[in-house]
Amino acid sequence: MKRKAVPYILLIPLIVAFALFLVYPLYKVVETSFYKASFLNPFYRQFVGLENYKWLFTFKLFDPKLSYFLSAFKRSLLWVAGSVGIKVALGLLGALLLNSKYLIGKKVYRTLVIVPWAIPWAMAAMMWAWTLNSEFGILNSILMHLHLIKAPVTFLARPSSAFITTFVVDAWVGLPFMIIMILSGLQSIPENLYEAATIDGAGDLTKFFKITLPMIKPVLLTVTLLSTVWTFNSFDIIWILTRGGPIRATETLPIAIYNISFLMVRFGGIGKASAMTIAQVIFVSVIAIFYIRTLEKGVEA
Amino acid sequence: MKKFVVFMLVGILLVGTMTFAAKRTLKVLMPIGGGYTIEDQEAIAKEFEKAHPDVDIQMEFVGWGELWNKIITSIGAGAAPDVMYIGSRWIPALADMGAIIPLDKYITPEKKALYYKTVWDTVTYKGHVWGVVRAMSTKVFIYNKALFKKYGVKVPTNWDELLEAAKKIYHPDQGIYGIAMAGKKFVSTVTQFQQYLYANDGRIVDENGKVVINDSKAVKALEFYKELSKYAQPGIIEWKREDLIKLFEAGKVGMYIDHVHNARKAMEKGIDVGFFLIPGGPDSIKRYSTVIVTDCISISSQSKNVDLAIEFLNFMTSFEKQKEWDLKLGFVPPMVKEKDLPEFQKWYWKPYIEAIKYGYPEAVGIKDWEGTQDAILDAIHSVLLGVTDAKTALDQAARIIQILQK
Repeated sequence: MKRKAVPYILLIPLIVAFALFLVYPLYKVVETSFYKASFLNPFYRQFVGLENYKWLFTFKLFDPKLSYFLSAFKRSLLWVAGSVGIKVALGLLGALLLNSKYLIGKKVYRTLVIVPWAIPWAMAAMMWAWTLNSEFGILNSILMHLHLIKAPVTFLARPSSAFITTFVVDAWVGLPFMIIMILSGLQSIPENLYEAATIDGAGDLTKFFKITLPMIKPVLLTVTLLSTVWTFNSFDIIWILTRGGPIRATETLPIAIYNISFLMVRFGGIGKASAMTIAQVIFVSVIAIFYIRTLEKGVEA
Repeated sequence: MKKFVVFMLVGILLVGTMTFAAKRTLKVLMPIGGGYTIEDQEAIAKEFEKAHPDVDIQMEFVGWGELWNKIITSIGAGAAPDVMYIGSRWIPALADMGAIIPLDKYITPEKKALYYKTVWDTVTYKGHVWGVVRAMSTKVFIYNKALFKKYGVKVPTNWDELLEAAKKIYHPDQGIYGIAMAGKKFVSTVTQFQQYLYANDGRIVDENGKVVINDSKAVKALEFYKELSKYAQPGIIEWKREDLIKLFEAGKVGMYIDHVHNARKAMEKGIDVGFFLIPGGPDSIKRYSTVIVTDCISISSQSKNVDLAIEFLNFMTSFEKQKEWDLKLGFVPPMVKEKDLPEFQKWYWKPYIEAIKYGYPEAVGIKDWEGTQDAILDAIHSVLLGVTDAKTALDQAARIIQILQK
């Protein structure tokens, strides 16, 4: 009896922490999303039912066609697709390279590759802000010296280039994690599979598509899922590089939620920001469920 | 038994002294960064505690960028600090939500007379004073004398000459630009644009509370901002005003609008620096103009120690302490008497002090600064990027600000 209770006793701290730092705040957010509430008027709260959720689709201050929430959501989808796309593609490429038999000094590269991930995000973003700077940035300097460009490129000054630049920087920060995880997947593939394939006369491409890819599929799916969720929540990099500008080109959902709760308090407030947050949580959870399902199927197969 | 009684007595005495010695605490929120250090501010607290042994000052520090969020979240949580350092532009929002108390009855006529009238204007809302100014700034043009000489440019006295000067100095092939300008989504970008807005006699909201950010004066100011940006460093949207000093120090720009302490930084780097006041625009009858920005100290309505808070406030903002602070941080003196101090007689201080009389407060009458700022930034970006013309962009901003002013 006593022995059976031990695991549960050991679980208590985790459950308490989980309840305190996840369940309770989430409950508060859900609750607030049904109220009209604002930091500007902390002691006034009015129950408004689903008003805040309706507001998500009706608040069209900046764009007469698309609501504030939907345009931020659309921007987020594209931004996440761009960032995760780069992370997965380059992550796979990087991992294959680091796993290659012909590469010398693998340990050095494996250590180096983790550096961007080890730097605090805010610092990485600051570093990039100056790297990309048109007057003092090293990137423009290199491009000019190589005569690839005639005048410095102002990466963060134009809406489309700022949009791309911010997700590329985000990908830079998230890439090491991808490489390391995919690499561990690659290393777990038994060598004899490749040997057998070689004997059967399979080429490198066939081996990649028939052995490597199916074998690392679970890892690939897991890291893509995790990365999608993290990227969806990414805030620091955009905030430091552009603050959601120019105009509203990089105002993704997390930035929009921040603006609605702290800056555009008269239009928004925490009630509406909570509704936006819940919408984001639901969306991210749907992706999670979808991926977990696929993952389970993949394992069974 | 005897021992026990003695023990009890000593115990009671100890507990007794502890209760009597219970200190009155005062929570104070202060920003750090931009020259503000923890040490400087704690020194003031220590000194006050020394004079008031029964008081415990608990200072809390937060970066400038997080100050607004910190204030409104702590108020929302019912745990607002007694004394808060705030940007005066936040007064209307905080006053309307009942978060800070009016200070009229605590400010003696002597205290009032210490400051310039414009200084009080920056902290007045709905006829009440909501804070005591701690730091003030005016801004003027800083210029690179060597570049002006090289390209044969005279000190501009109106907007045409200003544009002409920027044009003449502009040599992008050599990495030399006529003027340094800001465009990043940041409060200081709005202030930079406001310099031209005010110079042309424009306002965001006029004295009667009417939104006038889209009138012809304002439109002309924004058009001029765009015109001028053609001769500025490329991609000004990447830059915030705080970083422009790097361009000026490197000798890459002819002129720009900034604080005196940055001008001195450039002097230390060997730049021959000159100053000129921001010239009035075509629609203004005033010769010069500047935006007056102040930060002030306010008292929370949640404070249970208002008298002590006032005492601390007066201590911090006494003539002696204010003088020390301004000299240390290089701020424009908000107190009239300060301008007679030897330091403020130095040539580089003169234009900044002279500018005070041409100044107009940054945010007077604006009810929701953060929202207003956001709307103006969008307008500036739309025009700089050529998405819309100045009139359309400012009409949109005015539409939003009108809602915010309700």
